[in-house]
Amino acid sequence: MQRTGLFIERAGFLQRLNPLTKATGALLLIGATFLLPAPLTGAALLGGGLLPLALASLVARRFLDILLKTLLPVLISLVLVQGLFFPTADPTIVAIGPLLFRRAGLQFALDTGSRLLVVAGAPLLLFQTTHPGMLVQALIQSGMPRSIGYILLVALQLIPAISERAVGVAEAQRARGLETEGNVLQRIRGVLPLISPLIVGALVEAEERAMAIEARAFNAPGPKTWVRAIPDPPAERMARIAMLTALGTLVVWRVATFFSG
Amino acid sequence: MNDVLHSHTPIALRRVTFTYAGATEPALRDVTLTVPAGQICAVIGRAGAGKSTLCALCAGFVPHFFHGRLDGEAVVDGLPIATHPIAELVRHVALVGSNAFSQISGARFTVYDEVAFGLENLGVPREEMIARVEWALQALGIDQLRDRSPYALSGGQQQRMVIAAALAMRPPVLALDEPTAQLDPPAMAELAAVLHSLSRQGITILVAEHRLEWVAEVAERVVALDRGALLADGAPADVLTDPRLCERGIGWPRPTQIAARARAEGRWAPDRSLPITVTDLAAGLRAAAPDQASMNGQDGASRSAVVQPLDGTDGALSVAHSAEPIVTLDEVHFTYPAGVEALRGVSLAVRRGERIALVGRNGAGKSTLLRHLNGLLRPARGRALVGGVDTRTTTVARCARHVGVVFQDVRNQLFARTVRDEIRFGPRNLGFAPEKIDALTEAAIDALDLREVVDEHPYDLPPARRRLVAIAAVLAMDTTLLALDEPTAGLDHTSIGLLMRLIDDLAARRRSVLVVSHDIDFCYEALDRVVLMRDGQIALDGRFADLDRAQREALDSDVGLPIALRLRYVSP
Repeated sequence: MQRTGLFIERAGFLQRLNPLTKATGALLLIGATFLLPAPLTGAALLGGGLLPLALASLVARRFLDILLKTLLPVLISLVLVQGLFFPTADPTIVAIGPLLFRRAGLQFALDTGSRLLVVAGAPLLLFQTTHPGMLVQALIQSGMPRSIGYILLVALQLIPAISERAVGVAEAQRARGLETEGNVLQRIRGVLPLISPLIVGALVEAEERAMAIEARAFNAPGPKTWVRAIPDPPAERMARIAMLTALGTLVVWRVATFFSG
Repeated sequence: MNDVLHSHTPIALRRVTFTYAGATEPALRDVTLTVPAGQICAVIGRAGAGKSTLCALCAGFVPHFFHGRLDGEAVVDGLPIATHPIAELVRHVALVGSNAFSQISGARFTVYDEVAFGLENLGVPREEMIARVEWALQALGIDQLRDRSPYALSGGQQQRMVIAAALAMRPPVLALDEPTAQLDPPAMAELAAVLHSLSRQGITILVAEHRLEWVAEVAERVVALDRGALLADGAPADVLTDPRLCERGIGWPRPTQIAARARAEGRWAPDRSLPITVTDLAAGLRAAAPDQASMNGQDGASRSAVVQPLDGTDGALSVAHSAEPIVTLDEVHFTYPAGVEALRGVSLAVRRGERIALVGRNGAGKSTLLRHLNGLLRPARGRALVGGVDTRTTTVARCARHVGVVFQDVRNQLFARTVRDEIRFGPRNLGFAPEKIDALTEAAIDALDLREVVDEHPYDLPPARRRLVAIAAVLAMDTTLLALDEPTAGLDHTSIGLLMRLIDDLAARRRSVLVVSHDIDFCYEALDRVVLMRDGQIALDGRFADLDRAQREALDSDVGLPIALRLRYVSP
């Protein structure tokens, strides 16, 4: 199968689960990082939840690779800014090399940073272990309108297709002597011939695509079927109910402690 | 309404006239047509004759998607078109258009799922759906592509996929609008076999098509349209040899043309009817001259006078080889970032006044080579000289002074508000004086017969005319080499004739033309040197007139032989 978005085709633990189960799990993890008040909750959920799951799904390397490449600059600035300048009454200082960090600031940075990793990591793991087509199919089967599902999937596929067309447009216009490598003025002159075929092409294709999906019975009345079966064993349905109950309980408990505290 | 129309005749049109909303002239005029079950009915005609409209009407897209005024009665598989929505008609008739890319649903990630998409929407049970998808993939020969992304296929593969997707829906009626537009000769033969097999299963097929040789092989009946009205309707052997086809610019299939010339020269029995297939043509020529050496496949036989190819012996060509090449490729190697080695030591010189056909199977390296002719791609090893300058030391825009390239997908090229502005764009980029820009623009307009549409928006023109605009726009750059990628795709007989004259004129003015094309007959008739690419290398480089038996076999195995050469291959 072709590389599709973030999805990595492996025969791991999460890949076998129903997309809805995984999505519910991701929702629970994200909720828990904010609802559980204990210090370092994010770190615990990351180390005890997301990382073992990524390992069991055989995607841990790519998972960490993307997560850290995206968030490392944020994490470093978080530690520096909060660690050095956090407004606190606690005078405890931690010295790392020549830098004198405030302990409360470091703790805040660690707490916020690990929460951030969970919030970004849970959906990342979901998309790395779930084919987008299967996710949308599962969502439609559980009640999402088909037209919204269609728009989501088309957007996913058309972005690479449009960028490919952009290459074709640039080639065609450079072959007609359009200078795209010159000074700013030359480049500005070149914008219209480069953008216009892309936009007109996209508009024409939108009509043709509407015709194409009509021709493929998209609007035909009656029940729909699916060529690919998405397994949904009772155990997973139970698990989803349990996870949603847990999330609900957490919310209720948090609201209650807020008002009582 | 007529009772006959209510019975289950797959396609029954009675006095149908249709005018698109906003149009002044009807696209279909008073068309009456009844197609019985299991018949393959081909619709031919010039670009704009109403072929696509007829296909769209039979699938209900006219008038439900493309609005306008519909008069007369149109009934498909027992359902009156006017009163049934497309959502209902799709169970009875499937439509496949000519542009495969835009018919991909976009909602599925593999070829397999794409073919299943229509069946899912129809609510076909999974087991039956899987069986139908497997059958359709096999029938179109794309089984090995099942896990590929629909967007990662070549144009020809995409075309087969969209036909498979329509077939899987098992409609009693199938309407195909120019299905061969992006197919190479082997794929066209496969499609013909598929259509025959479907017709034997009782599926009625309406197919609009420009390639008359293919129509002759596949159709059981031919309907010719001229400006929206029926011009002729009957058996292929009658309609395709009807003199009115030539008068109205639709033309004859090549075997018919060749036989007509032979008849004029007294080498075709006067009482023998004109053939429409190569087999009948060969039989007729043999019968008229059983002892002719030109028919017995001898190597090096001079070209038979029955065909009128370029003889390639005029003065311009003989001096061509002494001149400085316009482009020189010297042991060029090129590998794409993904690791595909597309060119593996290609050496080629293009001199003034040459007419070159660059042919080869999909993936042979033709497109990569084309992009080396103007510096869009630069050699990884070896060197490419354009106008004597190494492409690594110059820009594409500078190469464009020597080499103009018209790519296959003209949508990527056209952007201006009028045809004239579009054509002026290239010469303006090259910095010519205003008078020269005007002169070149007007000359290009006339060369491609665009005078009557100069003030229209290029996108308001039918696709075939748009291709001519794209060619005119590059022609106006007045380059010494004009390179055309699949220039005949979607063009009718008249436009192809225009293109041939253009190529002749250019060669007479010592300009060169290089054509990348699957249309080997066009190549043979319009060009004289043939370069065959195979696996990133040049497998053959010679003149059509001088090909020996081994070279003809090489050409035949990769891209097929032109009909005229095939004739000499036929054993007596």
